[in-house]
Amino acid sequence: MSTLVKIKIDEKEYEVPRGRYLLAICQENGIPIPTLCHHESVEPWGGCRLCVVEFRKKRWDSWWTELATACLYPAEDGLCVWTRSEKVMKARRTILDLLLARCPGSEVITKIAAEHGVYQTSFAKREGEDNCILCGLCTRVCDRVGARAIATALRGALKEVSTPFGEPPPDCLGCLSCAHVCPTHTIGHTEADGKRTVWGRTFELVRCSGCGAASVTREQVEYAVRTKNLSPEYFVKCDACKRRESAATFAGLLFDERKGGEGPVGPTGSGPSHE
Amino acid sequence: MKTPDLTKLDTILERHEAAERSLIQVLQDVQKEYRYLPREAFEKVGRHCGVSVARVYSTATFYKAFSLVPQGEKLVRVCAGTACHVRGAGLLLDELERALSLEPGKTSPDGKITLKTVNCVGACAMAPCVMIDGEAHGNVKPGEVVTLVKGGRRDAAAD
Ligand code: FES
Repeated sequence: MSTLVKIKIDEKEYEVPRGRYLLAICQENGIPIPTLCHHESVEPWGGCRLCVVEFRKKRWDSWWTELATACLYPAEDGLCVWTRSEKVMKARRTILDLLLARCPGSEVITKIAAEHGVYQTSFAKREGEDNCILCGLCTRVCDRVGARAIATALRGALKEVSTPFGEPPPDCLGCLSCAHVCPTHTIGHTEADGKRTVWGRTFELVRCSGCGAASVTREQVEYAVRTKNLSPEYFVKCDACKRRESAATFAGLLFDERKGGEGPVGPTGSGPSHE
Repeated sequence: MKTPDLTKLDTILERHEAAERSLIQVLQDVQKEYRYLPREAFEKVGRHCGVSVARVYSTATFYKAFSLVPQGEKLVRVCAGTACHVRGAGLLLDELERALSLEPGKTSPDGKITLKTVNCVGACAMAPCVMIDGEAHGNVKPGEVVTLVKGGRRDAAAD
């Protein structure tokens, strides 16, 4: 058991495990914190800076207040945090102003910015059609999935998320996790006629032998069979069909047992006695 | 581009621990050997260091010391850091661009020489500074830079 410490968020006391990240604490307690680069499936990263909060801490013999990203700041005893102070809101507005300059076309950013009172950017707008904010969430999730097909390339103003050599990525599984977690929905992908295209590579989808629905790529199946110790049989039918089948099996079992008079199963019968 | 001879790659990899932290050193050695990072080497380097090809590409494009296209036999880097800039690095660069008919960042068609700028070589006291194949030359004057680059000796008086 980790030790509990007392912290204060927005003048309210909380008792939380030491070292737990502030963002997690806020989320558990319904305190809204805007985030873009955070996802529960990967370690916090601190890429977007939107989750800044102000905290007061005793350093040596005096009190200081500073800004820190909530997603990366661990709770410690006596910590005092403000999530919507003047300083915090000012920092968030600047961040949103910059993000808006980077991707003026992004609905998500425009919406969050407007919520913070930023209606247009005061910086020069970036040219370019993508809405990438370089938070790196897609690359982290891709690493987590195990495909490790994309990473950031170049640096500074030219930095971008890229596949090796900007070509269709050989390691990609076509699982679309990257597109799914992207906070600005900027990773383009298409799906038609049993084919899926993402990062410039086209994948063939495996059809369910039951209903014919196509939902996973051949590469995903092969990867799962190779690394997750699953049998290829597992992917012959889609999840929906598998559920339907097992529901039917259970219904059949229920029916059989009742008919067999072995003592009915389920809430309607008197059931095997526990007395 | 013809495929490079990758036999030397194994000797390079043998010298380095098979760990992620060796990645940059491996790439440096590869760059030294081939004067660029051949893309054919990426997979092997990645496998040796336990990182993805995407990560190798990411690292290779991040650092200016690495290049994905073959560099000239001679590498001339004009420092364009603040100190060198105010002490006339621009003039040196103009002079070289004219004499070699090369833009910064480009390699001559015969593959003999590459001209580059760098942001600071850390030798501000001897600004303006030109690095020729890893050797630093300080207090370079526009009048002597071409001779220097062509391998000639600079005026003793200039030092
Ligand atoms: S969520 Fe904390 S920096 Fe992005």
